[in-house]
Amino acid sequence: MIPLSWYLLVAAALFCIGLFGVLARKNTIAILMGLELMLNAVNINLLAFWSYLHHAQMNGLVFAAIVFAAAAAETAVGLGLIISAYRRRGSVTANDLDTMKG
Amino acid sequence: MTWLTNHLVSLILFTPLLAALILLLIPERRAGALRWVALAGSLVPLGLALFAWSRFDSTSAAWQLTEQVPWYISLNASYHVGVDGISLTLVLLTVTLMPLAILTSFTITERVRTYMVLFMILETAMLGVFVALDLLLFFVFWEVGLVPMYFLIAQWGGKNRNYASLKFILFTMGGSLGLLLATQMMGMLTGSFDLVELGSRWLALTQASLFGLPLATVRAIAFWAFVIAFAVKVPVWPFHTWLPDAHTEAPTAGSMILAGVLLKLGAYGFIRLVLPLFPVEAKAFAPWLAALAVAAVVLGALGAWGQSDFKRLVAYSSINHMGFVVLAVAAAGAAVGTPDAHIALNGAVLQMVAHGLSSAGMFFLVGAIYERTHTRDLNELGGLYARLPAYGSVLTFIAMASLGLPGLAGFAAEFQIVRGVWPVFMLATLIALVGLFFTGAYILKALKLTLHGPLAERWQSLSDLSVREIIIVSPLMALSLWIGIWPAGIMNLFNLTVAALF
Amino acid sequence: MQTLLWLVPLPPLIAFALISLFARGKRGLSHWVALVSAGLSFLGSMTLFAWAVGRQDLLENPLAASTNWLPTGGSWLRVGVLLDPLAALTLFFVAWTVLMIFIYSVGYHNYGQPVGAHDLPGLPPHGAELKGAHGKVPSVEPLYARFFAFISLFAFAMFALVVSDNLLVLYVAWEIMGLCSYLLIGFWYARPSARDAAVKAFLTTRVGDMFMLLGMAALYSLTGTLNFREILSNPVVLDTLATTLSPVFGLSWAALIGLLIFAGTIGKSAQFPLHTWLPDAMEGPTPVSAMIHAATMVSAGVFLAARFFPLISAGWEAGQPLTTPMLVMAVVGSFTALFAALIALGQRDIKRVLAYSTISQLGYMVAALGIGAYGAAVFHLFTHAFFKALLFLGSGSVIHGMEHGQLATGDAADPQDMFSMGGLRKKMPVTFLTFLAGALALSGFPLLTAGFWSKDEILSSAFHGNHLIIFIVLALSALVTAFYSMRQVTLTFLGSPRTPSAEHTHESKVVMTVPLVVLAVFAIAAGWFGVPGSFLGLGAFLPNFIGNFLGGTHEAEAGAFNATPLLVSVGVSLTGLFLGWLVHRKQSSPSIDPLKRGLGFVYTALERKFWVDEAYDLVFIRPAKFLAETVTSVWIDRGLLDGILHGIGNFGNWFGRTLRRVIDIPVANGVPDGAAAGARWSGLKLRLTQSGHVQQYLVTSLMLVVLAGLVLLLVLNG
Repeated sequence: MIPLSWYLLVAAALFCIGLFGVLARKNTIAILMGLELMLNAVNINLLAFWSYLHHAQMNGLVFAAIVFAAAAAETAVGLGLIISAYRRRGSVTANDLDTMKG
Repeated sequence: MTWLTNHLVSLILFTPLLAALILLLIPERRAGALRWVALAGSLVPLGLALFAWSRFDSTSAAWQLTEQVPWYISLNASYHVGVDGISLTLVLLTVTLMPLAILTSFTITERVRTYMVLFMILETAMLGVFVALDLLLFFVFWEVGLVPMYFLIAQWGGKNRNYASLKFILFTMGGSLGLLLATQMMGMLTGSFDLVELGSRWLALTQASLFGLPLATVRAIAFWAFVIAFAVKVPVWPFHTWLPDAHTEAPTAGSMILAGVLLKLGAYGFIRLVLPLFPVEAKAFAPWLAALAVAAVVLGALGAWGQSDFKRLVAYSSINHMGFVVLAVAAAGAAVGTPDAHIALNGAVLQMVAHGLSSAGMFFLVGAIYERTHTRDLNELGGLYARLPAYGSVLTFIAMASLGLPGLAGFAAEFQIVRGVWPVFMLATLIALVGLFFTGAYILKALKLTLHGPLAERWQSLSDLSVREIIIVSPLMALSLWIGIWPAGIMNLFNLTVAALF
Repeated sequence: MQTLLWLVPLPPLIAFALISLFARGKRGLSHWVALVSAGLSFLGSMTLFAWAVGRQDLLENPLAASTNWLPTGGSWLRVGVLLDPLAALTLFFVAWTVLMIFIYSVGYHNYGQPVGAHDLPGLPPHGAELKGAHGKVPSVEPLYARFFAFISLFAFAMFALVVSDNLLVLYVAWEIMGLCSYLLIGFWYARPSARDAAVKAFLTTRVGDMFMLLGMAALYSLTGTLNFREILSNPVVLDTLATTLSPVFGLSWAALIGLLIFAGTIGKSAQFPLHTWLPDAMEGPTPVSAMIHAATMVSAGVFLAARFFPLISAGWEAGQPLTTPMLVMAVVGSFTALFAALIALGQRDIKRVLAYSTISQLGYMVAALGIGAYGAAVFHLFTHAFFKALLFLGSGSVIHGMEHGQLATGDAADPQDMFSMGGLRKKMPVTFLTFLAGALALSGFPLLTAGFWSKDEILSSAFHGNHLIIFIVLALSALVTAFYSMRQVTLTFLGSPRTPSAEHTHESKVVMTVPLVVLAVFAIAAGWFGVPGSFLGLGAFLPNFIGNFLGGTHEAEAGAFNATPLLVSVGVSLTGLFLGWLVHRKQSSPSIDPLKRGLGFVYTALERKFWVDEAYDLVFIRPAKFLAETVTSVWIDRGLLDGILHGIGNFGNWFGRTLRRVIDIPVANGVPDGAAAGARWSGLKLRLTQSGHVQQYLVTSLMLVVLAGLVLLLVLNG
């Protein structure tokens, strides 16, 4: 079989890429995409651990399903917010949305 | 009727306060009603006091007409009032002078209501001091009396009234701190504030200490605290400087009451509290007190002689006359139990009455002339006898009463004081007589510059005394004459009390 | 009789009350009330005198009554009345002189004359216009009723003083007389000189009164009473007082009290050094001068000294050295007698001469008491009252006449200056004769006049008592007295008128001249009742009524008759009279006094009264004023005491402000303010981290999480 660690590495890599995207991308939609990546990386991690270690129980599957649902809902909400922000501020650049500046 | 007799003193005490409440209900614009109600409010205590006199037994030296109601039970302080010969005499003086003062105030035209209310409160306070038989009550009434006087001077006074009223109240209140201190000390040590019990309890103390201080020290502190409080009020030299300013700036009726009654509160305190409760300290320090009293007599007379303001001259005359009272008190303290002390104190009480009458008269007459001429400067007045013969005769009479002319009240008092003090303090008597000489000097100066000499052009059209003014001054003259010719009449009231004081 | 004694002083008092209350402005009513009251007191006095004379033992058992007055502890001070020989004699002359003067005053104040158009109350009247008269006529006194009210009060006080049985009532009456004197000297109060004279009189006598009050207090406290009989007729009391020492200069109590009471006499009877008020008192109307300052009030001082003679002479017997008070009295009296007589020489005003003469004669009486001649002193008091009152009333009549002349002619001369007069004997014969009788009595003209008898008795007592210095001084004063008396008579009445006013004088009205005549009778006759038994020839015919009446118990025995004092007395009297006439008989100028040229600087000293007034002003009055006006009022009261008060007040103010500045504002306020500022500053600084960039927030939180995890790892493992 493929060793578990390869799945974990892939998930870690994907997570880092996603993290990079969240932290460094200018476009808010790109941030959301990065966020998606992170969430999916987490999913891979979850499913890999489920599959290899706890195949008999449903915990991992259920958890992954919840993450899917949460991610989807969160993306929908996020996009709605971005569109609303775009309408207000005329920009989707993250650094332009700085009304909370103290 | 028995209810009336049982509560006579409280009625006398609180009728003015009741009148004050009624006055508050009358609107300011009805000045006439205000004046007459105030006058009625001051005449009722007079009637009641005369009734009390008729009920008073002068053959007994005990407290009479007493009432007692518990007040602060934990402190053993009660509302305890009553009279003896000395306090009844002073009560009579007060209730006689108040209606006259109110009549004098008929010429006040602004804020009449407040003025009359303040006077009523003042009357209650002064009467309260004289009838209080509880130290706490005494102190309360003492302090309460200061406030109306302050306002009377500050609001209806002369040009320098702010300075004068502040000086008066701060100085006198400063003195009263001593009163509070001594009262508290005595109350704590003996466990009671009641004057009747205090007499025996305080003198019976042998082993006691307060905050670690030995009894002798406590006694000394309490004694001096009392002395300072009363010395400021009387006033004794050198605590007298508030008096000329306060008396000069106060409105006429205010001065009449200030000189006529308020100064007696201090002397009364000496006689009632200092002498009986501190016989040892009083005897030890009597020479000092006598020296200060003589200073008051001489420097008061000299000060009066050096004034060119008529009212200020009369103010200094009060210092001069009260000095005699304190001199007698000092002699009584030094010679306790001897006939000399008795005669001296008799003279002191009589002098209080005589001075009350004559100084009230003098201040009234000064006010009368001020209303006509709008000046008190003796150098500007002059020759007024030609234009105002009635005023001139009355002024001469009252001035002679102030001077101590035999046949009028002042002499009977001063003679007894001289007689009583001479064996005790010979040198002091001699110096005091120098002061008495200068008394003649300043009285004659006042008469000379006001009445005699050529009549200036601008005083050609003044009006003589009105009926109201004659009504005010006649009782003062009549009483002065009556007491001067037959002192026994009033002296029978307090003679035995004075004898039993020690 | 006792009731009558109580009642004698009352009518004038009632008159005073009635006039003051009901008769102001009503001239006729006021003088009738006054006259009736004086008359009633007069009748009472005469009745009592007659009764007293009839009793043999009045000295031992005088008429007395008393009542309780002042409660003093368990006992009472009693006051009452006493009629002993001294009081009876005094009552006699007081009643007569008072009545005469009351009657005289009606005329003096021009009752019945028209009201002056320009007369102001408080100033002497100066004439009214009358149709058909030459010039102006005298006008009636504007304050007529007031005058009678005051002299009634005075009469009450004098009667009360005479009949009192204790020192307290005497003092009361004494002071009331002082008051009346003040009121009457200042009767014309609008005049500055009168006003000042009144104050001077009151205050100068008050000095004496203060000492007297001390004496009274001392006497009362030592003996427990002030009753004359209980003290002065009681040998035990007198002995005790004479032998107990007082703390003052080693004097016995009797001596000290005697001196203190004598001080009252010095003031009231105008002895040196308290004599300066009497001459100035001449500012008052002449009846006042006559009554108060000649016959009665100043006599009261001598009366008091006579009353207290037992105390003053306690421990003294005839022939022994004098006690201290007696010595002082003798010295003061004789000095004053000569001193005042000399000053009288230099005076031009007719009343001033008489004023100094009074002082001088009172000095005689005081000196007489001082050497123990009680009877002589009282006798002289008795006769002096009559002839001095006569002289003053006579001078008043002269002045009245002069004023009339002045009003008629419009002349500017001073109606009281003797040098403006002259030749009045022809214009005013009755006044002249009576005045002459008085002047002769004053000079001691031998045998005929009362003054001779009384003065001679004093001189002979001095001689017999071996008080030679006093004898010489008194004899000298008698010489000077005679001189100035004749000077006065010569300048006023003899010669010819020197000014137009003098030309136009005429005799005064009957109401004024009748009292003069009555008093002149007494001035002559009164002496014949006191002729000493040992006087050659006459003594056998006329009993020494007065001497016997008074009782010889107080004085030295006269002993055998010696001619020396008699010769001296007659000699000085006649010499003085002659010289006085000689120097002035040819006076023609109204301004130059021949004595001035003769005496030179001495005359100036006499005229200026030895500068005593100026000395008093410098030594007493100005320093006292300075003391009162500057030292007390400004330096002590305002400067020192108020300065202390203001200092305390300022300190309180400063303290409060400093506390506020040092504690309140920096600390109590500062700390919370600082805290707030700190919070704000940190907020401002921390604010910088809020960039608003979400990604930065995320980076920051990531790093913190990593850091926290590392720390956690280390902690868990370490």
